Amino acid sequence: MIELHKLTKDYGTTIAVNKLSLNVAAGEIYGFIGPNGAGKTTTIRLMGGILAPTSGSIIIGGLDMAKKPVEGKKMIGFVPDRPFLYEKLTGMEFLRFSADLYDVKRDTFLQKAQNLLQQFALLDWADELIEAYSHGMKQRLIIASALLHDPRILIIDEPMVGLDPAAVHMVKDILKELAVNQTTIFISTHTLSIAEDLCHRIGLIHKGTLLAQGTLDELKHIAKLGEARLEEVFLTIIKENTFI
Amino acid sequence: MNTILSLLRPRILSAINSLRTDNEKNSWVRIFMYSVVGIVFWIGIFIIFYRVLFYFQSVQDFGNILAMKLISMLIMTFFTLLLFSNIVNCLSHLYLSQDLPLLHSLPVSSKDIFFSRWIISTFDSSWMIVAFSFPVFLSYGLIYKTGIIFYVIFLVAIILMCLISSALSGILVLLGAIILPAGRIRTILIILGVILVLFLILFLRLIRPEQLVNPDSFASVVLYLNSMQTPNSPLLPTTWITDAIKAALNGEIKSCLFNIALTGTCAFMLIFISNITAQAAYFMGFSKSQTTPQRLFAPVKYKDYNWESLLNFLTRESKAFAVKEIRTFFRDSAQWPQLFLMAALIAIYLYNFSVLPLDNSPIKTIYLQNLFSFLNIGLAAFVLTAIAARFVFPAVSMEGEAFWIVQAAPVSTKNFLWIKFFLYYIPLVILAEVLVVVSNLLLRVSPFMMALSAITIFCLVPAVVGMAIGLGAVYADFKSENPAQVVTSFGGLLFMILCFCLIALVIILEAGPVYYIFIANLRGQSFSLLQIIWSIISFIFTLFLCLLAVFYPIYLGEKKLRIR
Repeated sequence: MIELHKLTKDYGTTIAVNKLSLNVAAGEIYGFIGPNGAGKTTTIRLMGGILAPTSGSIIIGGLDMAKKPVEGKKMIGFVPDRPFLYEKLTGMEFLRFSADLYDVKRDTFLQKAQNLLQQFALLDWADELIEAYSHGMKQRLIIASALLHDPRILIIDEPMVGLDPAAVHMVKDILKELAVNQTTIFISTHTLSIAEDLCHRIGLIHKGTLLAQGTLDELKHIAKLGEARLEEVFLTIIKENTFI
Repeated sequence: MNTILSLLRPRILSAINSLRTDNEKNSWVRIFMYSVVGIVFWIGIFIIFYRVLFYFQSVQDFGNILAMKLISMLIMTFFTLLLFSNIVNCLSHLYLSQDLPLLHSLPVSSKDIFFSRWIISTFDSSWMIVAFSFPVFLSYGLIYKTGIIFYVIFLVAIILMCLISSALSGILVLLGAIILPAGRIRTILIILGVILVLFLILFLRLIRPEQLVNPDSFASVVLYLNSMQTPNSPLLPTTWITDAIKAALNGEIKSCLFNIALTGTCAFMLIFISNITAQAAYFMGFSKSQTTPQRLFAPVKYKDYNWESLLNFLTRESKAFAVKEIRTFFRDSAQWPQLFLMAALIAIYLYNFSVLPLDNSPIKTIYLQNLFSFLNIGLAAFVLTAIAARFVFPAVSMEGEAFWIVQAAPVSTKNFLWIKFFLYYIPLVILAEVLVVVSNLLLRVSPFMMALSAITIFCLVPAVVGMAIGLGAVYADFKSENPAQVVTSFGGLLFMILCFCLIALVIILEAGPVYYIFIANLRGQSFSLLQIIWSIISFIFTLFLCLLAVFYPIYLGEKKLRIR
């Protein structure tokens, strides 16, 4: 469902992503981990069509994002790391705006929106302006809006930042359920325990280059560690700069 | 003192870093353009005041009184401007800036944070007044042939005036923020300020100053001049500042120093009081400003009426953007005063045409009416440019940090820009046509001029809106704390200059053919072949220019947003 081929983003002064290639299958949860400034957010933004790559290609659901960006984006639910929204709209108005752009059926919109707002504990706030929401509430609203059009691919940058433990638990359950229903999920995170709990495969990026990828066991093997937590694997690979 | 300097350092370093050569906003073209505009304004102010004062000198008896009265009026105006701008700046710097939570988490007293912020606010509010009041007083100095002491006294007096207004504003804001959250005070103040300005403009316009040239009104002018000699209240700092400058102008050093001393002690006493007030009240007000914002007016809902259905003729994605744009625009209280100002601008514009003394003019009325009508096209287009600069140019930047939503949505950048274009084009074309047609009706122009004005404006509106959207996208600033201010940036300036050039070109291109047609109609003559060819080429070239101004900037804007 997601194919990145020699993806490169050069900002002029830094190469944020350097010839990155990877594949994510349908129904798979792929965790993308790496230290600060490794190129995780840039990769996510390139995949979401927010940034244009310097070179390389992004294939989403068989569509080249450079050639058919609009059709590609229709398949994606995108959740950025920082919840910037239209502060002067209410939560429900924002969901309607999203539904109109992603062409959600009008007759099912209201029911769907109310269910999502209920699920994310925002129903009582549906008619309040977003400027009055807390950081966590905005994050929950963004995730709800990303799920509104039943995306085939979910791209999430730091999904749990700002969420309370109950919301973290709920989001994890939702993501697992979506994967069971064949939604492809690409998550970038710093929280290694989340990657460990949720992801079928994990990719480790450092200085724009993919150092290693595979299941947790495969990563342990690469790091030449026996029984170890992802944290130890992460630190070992980063320290030794072990390539795949 | 060291703490205050440390708190000021980020601002100073940011200013220095913005001058670095690797800063992409720091190109030579940009610096050159800002310098040229600044110098032109500066020289313009100097020339106007020099000529006015030179004229005053030639008027016996009254000339000196008028020149002195002008000083007190200027000081009063500067002081009012400083007071208002300081209050708005103090509110932003003391309570609403994004870095304040960080500053308050640092181990420094709230009094020190207040003082460092107050210094920044004073500088931001005052530098322009100091810079642009200098040519005014330079012209006084040259006309009255003063020595260097006059300029020193003027500079000290103006700086002390800035300190007084800033300290006063600080005290007012500190006390106000205890009662109401700072964000609310700013909204209310801006609305009240604009209403006050509107009343002043309307009042001044409605007293019809042009009637002063009427000999019948001379009696009232004499009465007015007599009232001018009434002294101002000796308790006001503006009186001391005015008296100090007047004394320096007339070489009365003792009186001058006395008034400067009065002003200086007042300024330092107010700074002292503001610091004591800050110690007691600043943190309380800051804490209040951190509360959840509430709507200024509760929403009114009518069950049977849904305005969104009026937009059903649009495609679904266009309607979504239109509804979002309209809602965010009208819910943003910072936009309301601008709307009032725009309404006043239009009302005064039309009123001016209704009171033109066409019948009393020595020039034949028919020439005058049609000349005014032709110039009216340019004037209406300039008004339109001003409105577009304020509302349309920042439209892309207004998406702010939420622009990722548009980028991630299945909408092409091109469509996004064209939706924005039509959202602003429709209301503006209606507004511009109403403006031109009503003013032409007031001028009682010929059907030809009426048609020409309506068609030209119909072509100019999309050109101006296209340039505003396109250049607004090229020079978009999604990180600004106040996106409406992007119009004061390099891109905004470039937009204004290009619009003025376009309007001037269109007027020049149309002037020749319009003259031929007008004269031919008036004298019943036929056109020569050369005149016909020239007219056709002129109109085609005008149309081409307008089309180019619509499509090319939007293409550039799309390209710029796509390669971010």
